[in-house]
Amino acid sequence: MEFNRRNFLKFVAGGLGGTLLSPLPWKLIDDIAIWTQNWAWVPVPERGKFSYIKTVCTLCPGACGIQVRKVGSRAVKIEGRSEYPVNQGAICPLGMAGLQTLYNEGIRWKAPMKRVGPRGSEKWKEISWDEALDTLTTRIKGLRDKGVPEELAAIDGNQSRSTMALLIKRLLSSIGSPNYLRMPQEEDTHTMVNFLMQGINGPLAFDLENTDFILSFGCGLLDGWGFPGSMLSVWRHWISDEQKKHKTHVVQVDPRASNTASKADIWLAPFPGTEAALALGIAHVIIKEKLYSKEFIENHCFGFYDWFDEKGVEHKGFSGIVLGKYSPANVEIITGIKRRVIIEVARKFASAHAPIALAGRGKGTFPGSLYEFMAVYALNALKGRINTKGGTLITDDVPLAPWAEVEYDSVANNGLTKERLDRAGTSQYPFTRSLIHKFTEAINGNQSSPVDTLLLCSANPVYTIPDNQSFIQALAKIPFIVSLSPFMDETSMMADMILPDHSHLEKMIDIVRPTGIQYPLYALSQPVVKPLYSTRHSGDVIISLAKRIGGSVAGSFQWANFEEAVKERVSGLYDAGKSKVSWEDITKNGYWYTPSHSFGEWTDIFKTPSRKFEFFSTEIELALKAYSKGLRPVGAYALEGKSFDDTLLDLGIRSKGDEVYMPHYEELKSSGDKNQYPLLFLPIEFINLASGWIGSPPFLNKTLFDHQLTKDDLFVEVNPKTASQYRLAEGSRAILQSSKGELSVRIHLFDGAMPGVIFVPFGLGHTAYDKYLKGKGVNPNEIIDPIEDPLSGQPVWWNTRVKVIKA
Amino acid sequence: MEADAKKPGRLKMDGWIFFLVGLIAALIVGWMVFPLLLYSEKSQPLIFSHASHGPESDAGLDCEECHFFYEDGTFSGIPGIKKCMECHEDPESPLSENSEEVKLFTDYVGTKKEIPWLVYARQPDCVYFPHIAHVKMAEIECKVCHGDFATRKVPPTYKLNRLTRYSIDIWGRNIAGYKKNTWDTMKMDDCADCHKRKGKENNNACFVCHK
Amino acid sequence: MKKEENSKGNRYGMVIDLDKCTGCGLCTIACASENNISVLYDESDKTRNIAWLQISMVTNGKEFPETEVVYIPRPCMQCDNPPCVPVCPATATRKDPNTGIISQIYTRCIGCRYCMAACPYHARAFNWFDPLFPEGMDRYLSPEVSPRMRGVVEKCTFCHHRLMRAKSKAYAEGRRDLKENEYIPACVEACPTKAITFGDLNNSEHTISQLIKSPHAFRLLERLGTKPKVYYMSTKNWLKRMADNYLTGEFK
Repeated sequence: MEFNRRNFLKFVAGGLGGTLLSPLPWKLIDDIAIWTQNWAWVPVPERGKFSYIKTVCTLCPGACGIQVRKVGSRAVKIEGRSEYPVNQGAICPLGMAGLQTLYNEGIRWKAPMKRVGPRGSEKWKEISWDEALDTLTTRIKGLRDKGVPEELAAIDGNQSRSTMALLIKRLLSSIGSPNYLRMPQEEDTHTMVNFLMQGINGPLAFDLENTDFILSFGCGLLDGWGFPGSMLSVWRHWISDEQKKHKTHVVQVDPRASNTASKADIWLAPFPGTEAALALGIAHVIIKEKLYSKEFIENHCFGFYDWFDEKGVEHKGFSGIVLGKYSPANVEIITGIKRRVIIEVARKFASAHAPIALAGRGKGTFPGSLYEFMAVYALNALKGRINTKGGTLITDDVPLAPWAEVEYDSVANNGLTKERLDRAGTSQYPFTRSLIHKFTEAINGNQSSPVDTLLLCSANPVYTIPDNQSFIQALAKIPFIVSLSPFMDETSMMADMILPDHSHLEKMIDIVRPTGIQYPLYALSQPVVKPLYSTRHSGDVIISLAKRIGGSVAGSFQWANFEEAVKERVSGLYDAGKSKVSWEDITKNGYWYTPSHSFGEWTDIFKTPSRKFEFFSTEIELALKAYSKGLRPVGAYALEGKSFDDTLLDLGIRSKGDEVYMPHYEELKSSGDKNQYPLLFLPIEFINLASGWIGSPPFLNKTLFDHQLTKDDLFVEVNPKTASQYRLAEGSRAILQSSKGELSVRIHLFDGAMPGVIFVPFGLGHTAYDKYLKGKGVNPNEIIDPIEDPLSGQPVWWNTRVKVIKA
Repeated sequence: MEADAKKPGRLKMDGWIFFLVGLIAALIVGWMVFPLLLYSEKSQPLIFSHASHGPESDAGLDCEECHFFYEDGTFSGIPGIKKCMECHEDPESPLSENSEEVKLFTDYVGTKKEIPWLVYARQPDCVYFPHIAHVKMAEIECKVCHGDFATRKVPPTYKLNRLTRYSIDIWGRNIAGYKKNTWDTMKMDDCADCHKRKGKENNNACFVCHK
Repeated sequence: MKKEENSKGNRYGMVIDLDKCTGCGLCTIACASENNISVLYDESDKTRNIAWLQISMVTNGKEFPETEVVYIPRPCMQCDNPPCVPVCPATATRKDPNTGIISQIYTRCIGCRYCMAACPYHARAFNWFDPLFPEGMDRYLSPEVSPRMRGVVEKCTFCHHRLMRAKSKAYAEGRRDLKENEYIPACVEACPTKAITFGDLNNSEHTISQLIKSPHAFRLLERLGTKPKVYYMSTKNWLKRMADNYLTGEFK
């Protein structure tokens, strides 16, 4: 028998036949088909028990109720809580994408870090929590030993009333430093208005749910203003089908066809910066046509009519000044709004059942102009909308229990007598609590930095503050910077040591009276997942730091941890409401509040010196005169006349006479020359692009249009007419140049943009974070050349002028 | 050689032997060697006896005690270590003299680690199977798909398909895919056939079982 | 045509009130987060990125300050007469007779993209790359939706898994029928102004069956005969005119 070719073929044929008679080929085909579907790098989500954890979103001070869907121990989806009083189911894009801030490893610090390369080189070494806290303790103790505790400063972005903010402020006080700085925000200006016109030290509140006419002077109600979740739910209420009979009318003042302007019933586009004049023009019509609330004006207001002071000197009243200076014809010249429209809007506002005039800009991330906000608020007073249903509200504070007094030793007492570096609260800036740009100036203006150690908490000023380049310069001079940020943001990249916080879903944190909410509400979040990394709650870090410093500092922090500090405050709520509640109730619900508002009598609510609503602000009068006195030796100062007016110029106030104590229109001069820089550079904000200290999560990139961002190019909105003047076409590349620097952008032609203005979105142009964010677009803050707002001293960020160079 | 080749009968036989050898070898490879190569055997982390836990045993647990529906209608599947610890709580007082229980205490209860059970019925990720629609609404018994696990003393050997990475029980333990009992195979066709048999042909729309 | 009526089963549909839509983008984000949608580093590449629900921005074309912006959220239209289904050579996409929803089975898809070419609404997206959930972000993936692999087409499913979720819950409570709004897609739930209404078009008691009778209701590219189950509403005539390719003077 020979195994020849012929037999070999037979063998093969037999083999083939046998194979076909066996399951092998069929089974193999099936298995291979399945095998092709198993790609090891395609994730297979782990299964587990589904559950919902109810908590509160603390990514902004809006405090929306959220529920987090979990599978096993993983969080997989964030949804709004429909039973939560603040937002009733609505949340904002950032809140919805919150899991990407939790789980994105590329943006989170995983353990305490020490810088090992030069600053900004992003070379880090992991250190233990003990080492980190020891280093900081030694540093602070050293400052106290040298008797210069004021060389410790902190920049805090937590909500001002929250326990976190209180703890940080307390730490600085007990150590002996007055240099506790807060990130600037719109609420600061509203709080000043509340103090100057109503004598109340606290944020303004608006009963938006019950209003039927909104006159918004630039608030991007649908563009993420203030408290997006709650704002959107209010908007839903305004336009709901049940509401159709008494629909809420919206008048939006906006230089651009924003989402809000497009959805508003009337869109007014005055020249940016002239909103106060428009408000006063509307006031003119209301006063002239006697459409104001006589009952409120005559009995509960001070400074509306002309009046005599105790010396017998006659003072002009608000009505006289408005009637004299702000006729619709004059206002048309200032604002560009037709007089016919001004009269129409004024009449509509005056005839509405429950109108509200609202001052603000964009998302409300930055402070506004004080006199402008006062002018807008005055409209509410004209119609007697103060503390009424569907009007502005004067609300009680949340009845939290106070902590024990801070203990001060001699070092602390001595340190606290030093003037704040930013001079906020001094006679020059009497009503402002914090001025971060003056802090920057103080450091940059000194040979050696007056700050030795800087703590940063929930803030990313390197990215978010206007004219951030000056701030970066200042940081370079500060010897030791410690960031408590959970994220690898721009500011922590400039730090020397990182003490990373948990992300918002890993910790308990509170928000006291969320921004703009109309009733006293206390919001408390719950940890949804166990901390993923070796991070620590910043509250616990502050407390353990104080304990390590010891002495009276430790004495001021008697709590074992953050939760205990919160618990002590919350204990004030147990018996404060209608029914008794427990700690468990509050942690379970995530909130405590008293929904019904007690509308006090107008005779009792105002805490101004006159005990009335003040069109003529006594506080401003006292402050300006005190400032003038402080400048010159006794006897040589002036309280009126030319010398006094010159003093006011120091403060940026150009008006004269009684007007300076009242809401009025101040023309803000831009720092750039109009001939050299012919165009106005106006940063704008989108609701679907996070522009605060937390970087925009990747999901939000999906919602950007390619006429907003293409690859790494940011598009700025320009009116086609303006563009054609500069021979710019859709997509042209251009350089925007201000006195501070330049940005490289591309042009998007947008009919809805006001001619002569270039609109640039905030939120892109990050130089830190991960590949999803870093290097995409440009940051408007880099070329903003802020001037100081008269009286408040806050940086004016919407008034920079630029020129366009076609690239 | 030439002489041999001229013998007619032998010539035929000679050639066909090669054919037969090829045929038989292929059949052996296809039916016996191939399954050995295709599957790797794995042992369960613990030898769990359903028989000593089930309704008939001393423990006398109902199936639903461990394999229950959550309020939202999702199926709990195999219980976690927490469930085991409801009874096996104290290592000092074991419930039996079984070495597997010792292992449970030392390896899992003590270290709070979940037991990495090998799941015979694990389907690909693209498959959605609601137990509640079948067990509660259609009143199909567990064993119709899973076989009679409740009385097993020792879990069957887990055989992993090296290619697909799924258990042998999906295709079935018979390499030919021959099916005697309803629970022998768990392929898509089995689902579809059953739907058809029960007059639920609409449930063979793709999205009913795919996600 | 009888098949399209689908009178026996449910016919899930959607009405999007464009006058109420504020363009916040939450629907897109809720969708991405619900359905394990991958994110490219460069999401501005609209020919490569994946979104089951895209938002278009249109303006009335008037000059400043008469300009008005309107946003049009576009999920899969779930056509009653879907152009994508008959072209699929792999039977990977079908119309579900129970729900009217167009299914897409990723493990069956061969990636030929005929369906994308056939779809006049650009509702489908192709996975040009492996799904990207880098550095820890795979931890938020939901097991209710299977992540896709490179080389397959994916699209909006009306959150079909939420229908299954609702059914399981109903079964647990001993019910077979779903109440109105018991099953809604993630985008509908997320819409902060309640611009989207969802329901069964075959059920006359559902709000949606009334809404589609409104004179303000319209569909996109209606004259192609695709019979979308996604309706839009607006009182603006200029917007309605944009919804289809009308000749000059042809509209109204």
